[in-house]
Amino acid sequence: MYLVQHLFEQHGKHLGLDLLAGAPGLARRINRAEVHRPGLSLMGYMKGFVSSRILVFGKQEIEYLKELDSPTRDLRLKNILTTMTPAVITARGFRPPKEMVALCEKVHIPLFRANATATNLLSRITFLLLEEFCPSVTLHGTLVEVFGVGVLIQGESSVGKSEAALGLIERGHRLISDDVVRVKKKEGSSLIGSGPELTRHLMEIRGIGIINVAHLYGAVCVRHDKGIDIVVKLEEWDDQHFYDRVGLDEKFIDILGSSVPYHVLPVKPGRDVVLLLETIALNHRLKDMGYNSAKEFNAKWLEAISRRQRKRVLS
Amino acid sequence: MILVKKIKVKNALGLHTRPAATIVKLLQPLKSSVSFTYKEETINARSIMSILMLAAKKNAQITITIEGVDAELAMRRLIAAFEEEFGEK
Repeated sequence: MYLVQHLFEQHGKHLGLDLLAGAPGLARRINRAEVHRPGLSLMGYMKGFVSSRILVFGKQEIEYLKELDSPTRDLRLKNILTTMTPAVITARGFRPPKEMVALCEKVHIPLFRANATATNLLSRITFLLLEEFCPSVTLHGTLVEVFGVGVLIQGESSVGKSEAALGLIERGHRLISDDVVRVKKKEGSSLIGSGPELTRHLMEIRGIGIINVAHLYGAVCVRHDKGIDIVVKLEEWDDQHFYDRVGLDEKFIDILGSSVPYHVLPVKPGRDVVLLLETIALNHRLKDMGYNSAKEFNAKWLEAISRRQRKRVLS
Repeated sequence: MILVKKIKVKNALGLHTRPAATIVKLLQPLKSSVSFTYKEETINARSIMSILMLAAKKNAQITITIEGVDAELAMRRLIAAFEEEFGEK
């Protein structure tokens, strides 16, 4: 649930919003990531008007309102400023007409003034709202950046996710979040993971307790957010399970409709999980650069065999 | 078996570090998977960090979801811990 209040508190300063009237309406919900210039509807054409959008009054709208006589102005404004309107903003620092102020005060619609132009406000607010409204999910796991690759380590409690992450940090890699990762799917692009504000850069290590990684290892060892490039599931070694031995077939896992490369990494005493995670990350980078060790080797093998066969045919 | 129950946080300080540790400790010997839902956020109740992240204050309504063989026992123990205000009465 995203309220006008949240937009005002988080981005009000940055957008240069100045609250003029309708303060009780700050608790209104924003249901759409859309911002609208009322233009046509201000002239009385109400077909297809969506009332749940934030309205921005630019130079043209304000000039037009000025040309109307007071009762008409009031009527037209009443048509578009309803109980559904989340907020109204006047651009370029325009002083809103008094009918608008009175109406916003009466119906409790937050009325803001901003110095930016309407076009500028439109694009900036739409961008902020899209970011807020993009699909998101909270996952159990630890997100670490290893050699620039975002690795989400998952697995049952006490399998050693945090310990593996600590080992990686000690080798100079970066922690984004331990145990809880908020994942957002940005418009058409990748999955971005970050930690919740409250527990950011904190880790819980069994036998030690809660530690602050940013304080212990320095600011260089932490990051605010990072795209999720691969998911590694740590699990207890199971003799019955056949683990991937060649790496020819790649597995994927679905997160918010995007498929992410997925590895299952069995853990048992003597296996250096940190080193293995580093190798997975490096191998991923290599694949990204177009080199797949397993496939390359297989091609080489097939070629060697066919060469031998050819030799036999010739002799 | 899946059990779902809503419960209110009764202790004055809410689900801070000690209650979170108590919850994780009492769940440790049990096999069921336990999750808490608060303010549209669902987390694994076996993780201290996750419980702390909820920032649940006094009187917060938490939905407990337990799935597994010992779900009933887990639910009973959890409710008892919440009722006893995690020993902070």
